Amino acid sequence: MTTYTKKEVLLQAKGLSQTYDGKCILRDINFSIRDIVRPGLQQGQVVSLVGRSGIGKTQLFRILSGLQKPAAGSISIRERKPTANTNGSIDIYTERAVQPGDMGVIFQNYYQFGWRTVQQSLLLAARHNPLLKGTEEETIDRYAGQFELSAVLHRYPPQLSGGQQQRVSIIQQLLKGSDFLLLDEPFSGLDVCVLDKVVELLLQVSLSDEMKTLIIVSHDIATAVAISDTVFIMGKEEGQEGSTLVREIDLMERDLAWKKDVRSEKAFLDTIKEIKSFL
Amino acid sequence: MVLSQALFTLIVWQAGAGGLIPAPSRILTAFGHFLSNRLLIDNLLASLLLTLQAMLYSIAITLLIGYGSVIPFVNSIARFVVKCRYLTLTGLIFIFTLLTRDGNQLKISLLVFGIVPFFTTSFLSMLVRIPRQEFELCQTLGFSRWESLYEVVVLGKADQVVEIVRQNFAIAWMMITMVEGLSMSEGGIGALLIKYNKYNDLASVIALQGVIFGVGLCCDYLLGALRHWLFPYTKKTV
Repeated sequence: MTTYTKKEVLLQAKGLSQTYDGKCILRDINFSIRDIVRPGLQQGQVVSLVGRSGIGKTQLFRILSGLQKPAAGSISIRERKPTANTNGSIDIYTERAVQPGDMGVIFQNYYQFGWRTVQQSLLLAARHNPLLKGTEEETIDRYAGQFELSAVLHRYPPQLSGGQQQRVSIIQQLLKGSDFLLLDEPFSGLDVCVLDKVVELLLQVSLSDEMKTLIIVSHDIATAVAISDTVFIMGKEEGQEGSTLVREIDLMERDLAWKKDVRSEKAFLDTIKEIKSFL
Repeated sequence: MVLSQALFTLIVWQAGAGGLIPAPSRILTAFGHFLSNRLLIDNLLASLLLTLQAMLYSIAITLLIGYGSVIPFVNSIARFVVKCRYLTLTGLIFIFTLLTRDGNQLKISLLVFGIVPFFTTSFLSMLVRIPRQEFELCQTLGFSRWESLYEVVVLGKADQVVEIVRQNFAIAWMMITMVEGLSMSEGGIGALLIKYNKYNDLASVIALQGVIFGVGLCCDYLLGALRHWLFPYTKKTV
């Protein structure tokens, strides 16, 4: 069993609900994401929100990203601000309501500005990160090398493959420096080989920083579970209007988190079955 | 294919020509006559210069109205300008004559008045079609409101502004012959056309129509090439 401890709350959603045309879509959604600490390891968090198509995942995604205001409830995040002191730099943490721009958002279609080359797009993001001041281009080159994009830096988005567009979107949001990365259906429409690469890539991102928190919204249950440490299931409760979180599954507790070949384990298959029963 | 179709049409036209309709050979002779002196070139340049001036003014006014349409006061003006597409210029010529100092001003004003509603319509419809995701990407990257507007509307749609100019150049070029007839002292291809029409010299009239058509197509091609040169991403796909 892997040793881990759950520390401070990084994100907290309280009583979220959303209506559309007077109809309740999301109802009383409450959850929190905590900092997971593994001794001797730099480990971020990977949380999945799974549910059937049309259950309101995208609505919740938009609310979490701050792009849409909920009808009721709030989302607060723990903000990290590196501050200089006599011994160098220390991180100061404050809690505040989420705003647009707080979360790195990777849309389902990996939308990019069509009039910017990859490098220009990445530079735009890097210039909005004060921590990268003066080192923007070097950082872009480093990320591009790491994510196998060096050869396409001077191309425009329509000249990139789907996988390359996804990687550009991820790097762009990483360069912006947000601790939270929201991904809308990152596994949809990918073939098996690319899917493995994307999973690898997301794990790589989650390991890049202790505070890095990936929130994956997906209906691909197996892939989402294989990559996550916590799964929230969205569903409907009998006699109630609107979707809500019907269950939280702690994959660390079940010893299913951070394992490469987890898909072949019996506990994994049982968990998938259990999740399906809630949908 | 197109060449053989054109050739076939010309042969049929040549064989069947008679009466008032001139044969292609007569039109070619008239065209040759225009090329042998500076008359056509001088008048063509005068028309192109006038169109260019009117286009520049129209672009400036359209951009002001278009970008300003985010302000409620300008928005109502913009919506009125769009409706002005249904105003005929003929009934306004006298008012414009009173409002302007000379023939050149009159022609430019009429052209601008005729072009701006079409430019504005295309420009506003382009703004309306901007996907919400473009602004949302700006938000997720932490852009301010003004940064988002500059990135998405000004920079992101600059290529489409040139495309709008290209599409609407046809209106300006079509109107030029009409407004040049109002003040013929400065010449222009429209004045030339009216003169030959008056003499019932149909061969010269059709030759001039051919020139107007050809120059229009050339300008259309040049504006398209300019767009690709200025904004290379407009021709790049997988």
